[in-house]
Amino acid sequence: MADSNAPKPSSSVKLVLLGEAAVGKSSLVLRFVNNDFQENKEPTIGAAFLTQKCNLPTRTIKFEIWDTAGQERFASLAPMYYRNAQAALVVYDLTKPTSLIKAKHWVAELQRQASPGIVIALVGNKLDLTNDEAGAGGDAEDVGAEESGDARKISTEEAKTYAEEEGLLFFETSAKTGYHVTEVFTAIANAIPETSLKTARGPGAAHAASRTEEQRVNLNGPRDSNAKETCVC
Amino acid sequence: MLSFSSFVQKAQQLLDPTQGLNLSESDRNPSKASLFQSQFRLPSSQHPLYEITAELTIPPANATQGGRDRDLGYQYAGKLHLSEAYLSFSTTPSSFLQSASTSTSSIFTGQTHGGGPGGNGFTFPLCAIRRVERLHSQNFQFALSISTWNGISQDAAKDRDKKDLKEQRVTLQLAGSRQACERFCDGLKKGLRANVGNVAKMKKVTAECYSEYLLRPEDKKNAAPPDAGLGMMFKYPGDPKKLRDRAKMRLWAEYLRDNGRNMTLIRQPTFHKLIRVGLPNRLRGEIWELTSGSIYLRLENPTLYADTLSKFSGQESLAIDEIEKDLNRSLPEYPGFQSEEGIGRLRRVLTAYSWVNADVGYCQAMNIVVAALLIYMSEAQAFFLLSALCDRLVPGYYSTTMYGTLLDQKVFESLVEKTMPILWEHLVKSDVQLSVVSLPWFLSLYINSMPLVFAFRVLDVFFVEGPKVLFQVGLAILRINGEELLDATDDGAFISVLKSYFASLDESAHPKSENPKLRAVTKFQELMVVAFKEFSGITHSSITELRLKNKDAVLSNIENFAKRTAIRNLGPDSKLLSTDELGALYDRFYGVLYERQQRDHIIKQEQARRARTSRSRIAEAASEGDHGVEKGRVGLGPSTSLMDYDAFREFLAGMCKWAISDAPSTPRREASADKEKGFYGSFRRSDATLSPWGAGPEPADHEFLQRLFQKWDTDSSSALTLQKVVSGLARIKGKRDIMGTITYFFELHDNDGDGKVDREGILRMSEALLFLSRRGLEGTLNPTNSSLTLTGDGTNGGSDVPGQSVNERFLGSVSAFIRRCFEYADPDHPKNQDNAMPKLQAKLGSIQLEEHEGDELANPDAFAIGDDDDEDEDDLLAMDSPTASPKTAAQKPDTQPPTLQPNSTHLSPDDRRRVSKAQSVKANAALDPSNPLHITLPTFRMVVLADELLEQFFESSFPASFHIIEGLASAATPKSASSLTTFSSIGIGAGRAVNAELGAGAGREGAPGGAGAGAGAGRGLRGVLDNIVTDGMRVAAEVRRRMEEAQRELEKNAVAGQQQRASNDEEEEEDEEGFRGGEGGGGAYKGDAERRSVRSSDRDLLTGADAEASDGAVTDVGEGEVGRNGELGAAEGTGKVVGVEFDG
Repeated sequence: MADSNAPKPSSSVKLVLLGEAAVGKSSLVLRFVNNDFQENKEPTIGAAFLTQKCNLPTRTIKFEIWDTAGQERFASLAPMYYRNAQAALVVYDLTKPTSLIKAKHWVAELQRQASPGIVIALVGNKLDLTNDEAGAGGDAEDVGAEESGDARKISTEEAKTYAEEEGLLFFETSAKTGYHVTEVFTAIANAIPETSLKTARGPGAAHAASRTEEQRVNLNGPRDSNAKETCVC
Repeated sequence: MLSFSSFVQKAQQLLDPTQGLNLSESDRNPSKASLFQSQFRLPSSQHPLYEITAELTIPPANATQGGRDRDLGYQYAGKLHLSEAYLSFSTTPSSFLQSASTSTSSIFTGQTHGGGPGGNGFTFPLCAIRRVERLHSQNFQFALSISTWNGISQDAAKDRDKKDLKEQRVTLQLAGSRQACERFCDGLKKGLRANVGNVAKMKKVTAECYSEYLLRPEDKKNAAPPDAGLGMMFKYPGDPKKLRDRAKMRLWAEYLRDNGRNMTLIRQPTFHKLIRVGLPNRLRGEIWELTSGSIYLRLENPTLYADTLSKFSGQESLAIDEIEKDLNRSLPEYPGFQSEEGIGRLRRVLTAYSWVNADVGYCQAMNIVVAALLIYMSEAQAFFLLSALCDRLVPGYYSTTMYGTLLDQKVFESLVEKTMPILWEHLVKSDVQLSVVSLPWFLSLYINSMPLVFAFRVLDVFFVEGPKVLFQVGLAILRINGEELLDATDDGAFISVLKSYFASLDESAHPKSENPKLRAVTKFQELMVVAFKEFSGITHSSITELRLKNKDAVLSNIENFAKRTAIRNLGPDSKLLSTDELGALYDRFYGVLYERQQRDHIIKQEQARRARTSRSRIAEAASEGDHGVEKGRVGLGPSTSLMDYDAFREFLAGMCKWAISDAPSTPRREASADKEKGFYGSFRRSDATLSPWGAGPEPADHEFLQRLFQKWDTDSSSALTLQKVVSGLARIKGKRDIMGTITYFFELHDNDGDGKVDREGILRMSEALLFLSRRGLEGTLNPTNSSLTLTGDGTNGGSDVPGQSVNERFLGSVSAFIRRCFEYADPDHPKNQDNAMPKLQAKLGSIQLEEHEGDELANPDAFAIGDDDDEDEDDLLAMDSPTASPKTAAQKPDTQPPTLQPNSTHLSPDDRRRVSKAQSVKANAALDPSNPLHITLPTFRMVVLADELLEQFFESSFPASFHIIEGLASAATPKSASSLTTFSSIGIGAGRAVNAELGAGAGREGAPGGAGAGAGAGRGLRGVLDNIVTDGMRVAAEVRRRMEEAQRELEKNAVAGQQQRASNDEEEEEDEEGFRGGEGGGGAYKGDAERRSVRSSDRDLLTGADAEASDGAVTDVGEGEVGRNGELGAAEGTGKVVGVEFDG
């Protein structure tokens, strides 16, 4: 895949997923990376690392995804993972109000502690549990079947307003149906400023940038062949 | 008391902020007991009681590997230890000095540092010992022959004809003085006797061990084997053939037959070798249980698991929710965990553990570890092994802050840096964070990283040799993959190198080698060799040392993170405070909680120590202490995050002057002493040396504090969270808006929230104002006022600072405040009362007015004072103050220029006089208990704003009195120096102010003031001053008492109204006489006694018209010299009011 897009400039983007436990962070990644969904996903210990490429018209973005553990006590490990991240996906569960509160905490944490200029996307997951047309529009077999009604507890407006206030990208997704999942990553890829790509690791690592970049250019190829990747963009 | 003083020293060390927060004593110098427990993996109930050098001889029959000395058997020299319930022998030198005292710490002498049962030897529960004989030996050696219950079932013991039983017997030759040997034997005898009762329990526990089944003669194998984990049902992971499971089983069977099983197993070199090659599936659980020591936990409390489950059955918790989420994703690839059976076991074990150790609760990764354990052991076994893991093997790994995990990552990093500097440099250069890779290794004990079969091999060694194994394996992984890792330049590449390595662990390490033997070596075998050979230098003590070194940095990191997060999540109210303020609040909040916990701990320890000396129980209390010393530090995990009332007081005392007690030596409020802190109370009584408040000042206890606490405690849970504290403070300090503060203060006293504060509440408010101001006002006060007093200072020889006389005048403002409140008290305000009770009021008013005027005429002196009062309503307390500076008063009563009179009120003197008279009349009515009254917020606001000082108090001084960031600089010594100066300066200021007023009042006051002052001059100024402020605060209390009295009177004298009125008049006159007398020869009324009741007379001022009568007394009182007559006058004054009222 890398070959077919060879002429396009390719750059790596470190992306971290944050959010309360069991909101579907890992499922989102799995859907994005493998276009797959597992009901019983082994919980993430510390963080799982995955990669996936995203082809934009003008360039190729290779996401290095850090999928962090959601349990509260793992929160203190998070700085280890969002260090130098250029993008973050803060996920909440549409059916669980507390998860949005937690998501807001993460947004605040990222805005203050992560690399400046980090692109943050707020993602409300589990759209398949709501009665939304959009959620049903996916390839879902049993949308909202378990819940006889609408399990949605957080309105789109509420989250959207918040996202706008904070300058976040905003999406509602279903990892189960795949609805809007790739859109999230594509939007992030588009939102990453060209300049930050040049420095490979974002402005936060500017001091180490030039060196890293060189190595990166050389090593990108061989590494790509290492990781099994499917491009869904 | 000698020991006590050393204890105090220790306490001070601990409480010393510079060192108290760092490493605890128990870290640097673990107690002998804890080292002993770790070395033999014994429960924390065990303490090393006796120890002696000994030689263990295992007779030939028991020896495993034939060989040379078959006849003599095997001999090991080592040390024999006796604890309450165990007899342990190890060839590994112990890590503690023999001479170390039992309870306190010592220096490490060995290398094991409590590293676990690495050496040869045994750990016999005393109840597993069947018989001990002293051997008649030649050359005076002291030898014991010990036979155990090994392999002897209850029935077998009974019918002894089953002679095929081979009794396990070892010989121990004690090497020591005869005395030492005797002592040891005595201890052993005692221990054996005490443990006889546990034999049956022990047998029950061992019955669950697979070895019992394994070693049973074939003919008895009909019974079902004990539960050896889910593997029995769902197969054990890996190919048994490849694992050579049968061969291993045979080897183990032989070893166990010769060396004892489970409780009575003797460790010989073969034992360790057998473990290194991997345990056979069915014995794995049992050996894990044995080497980790969790079997001893099970022995101690065999039914704990079942009991816990039934005790908490049906209950819910956060941990249970979290567990539920993960049940389906714990080793999901293992068939056992795709079944209800496996899931059920996992759920029960995790749940039970979350109940017994609520501090840890449930942490992701525990599910994976427990799932792995359950493949090889029963639920109960896994439960206890999980305890051993969390408490001893990987402490802090699964705690709520996971500090253990983070710490070990740091340790691992520094080991990598030391052992593989090139790789380390590469990591640093490529900005790869090692822990993103290694953290899951440690957290899930490699179960999640390696294929299960290999992870279990690591665990086999881990349980015997301890956590160092995790490091050794981790280092070996990096070493083996070093070259490839040097090519990787980012996290991703790094991870994929290791991922593929783990996936190929079963492949040949040297696939291209010519040597078939070498070719047969798998990567995993290579890993083990590198780990334990090349990194044999990584010992338990080197790990411990590194942990110690990094601990503080790790904890502060966690704490910073926690603080950051907590502060950010404090809710909208927190926006009103600055980040610095929030940070400081956070520190103060947790600082207080932490210190209190430490003190609490020390006190308990000390109590335990005392209890121990009285009971002469050895070491009992010591170990208890060792484990908990560090509790409470945020970074270590769940600490108290709730602040009770006492902690709240201490918290405030750290940043508010007014929250520090004036009388630190007085016994504490009884209620609180009786309450939860019973031991504090008792402690204080016995030893005043160690304050329950630690090094800080003793906080005050005042109703205002209680109200504040209740107000902040929004959900009435009797405890404050940081959030509540921040919200509470934000409303006082955050808005910087006087109306907000006034409203807040009002609401604070509005008990039922109906927007009205009654008489009681008004008094409380004034009490609170006095309480808050008694150490002086802070903040920006009106400069004109200050300059005014400054002039006064000049005349007073500059002994003063401007602000202080402001403080003084504030007392007066409060008195005016009370009066005004009563005056404007809303619905029953006299002005509005025409409908309510017009006649009565009218009459009362006129009568009072008449009286008042009459008094003035009749008694010019009294009038002068009363008049003065009228002119300046502020001087309720100021009146007291001539006492404060009698000298000044005496020397310069007339030199004060009239302009010095503070004109803080807006009314002209004349107006005020008029108003005041009317007011005083109404105020009397206000005091009438039958006459309900209350003020509303607008009234309150008006009253406050009417007084410049009060206004300033609410605008700046009250909010400013919370020194959130800087704290109280002099907090360490507030009792003596600082507070005293405040007092005295207030006093002086007060005295001068009053004198100035008096002087201004046409010099009428000269005589009495001078006389009183002269009388008071001789007294220690300091004592007088100290009392001024506190006494002032009693004023309102007394008013209330009067009211009650009046109420009683009212009921009593309902009939005799008229007469009483007459007599009251007389009495009042008498009183005035008395006053004048006092004036002339103040000595007559002097006497320090009853200063309190004297003070009560002050309150008469509040009652308005009656005031004059007692004013004289007030003056006396102010001097601190008093007179009963003052009180008398006051009482009469009230009585009169009552009478008057009934006149109508």
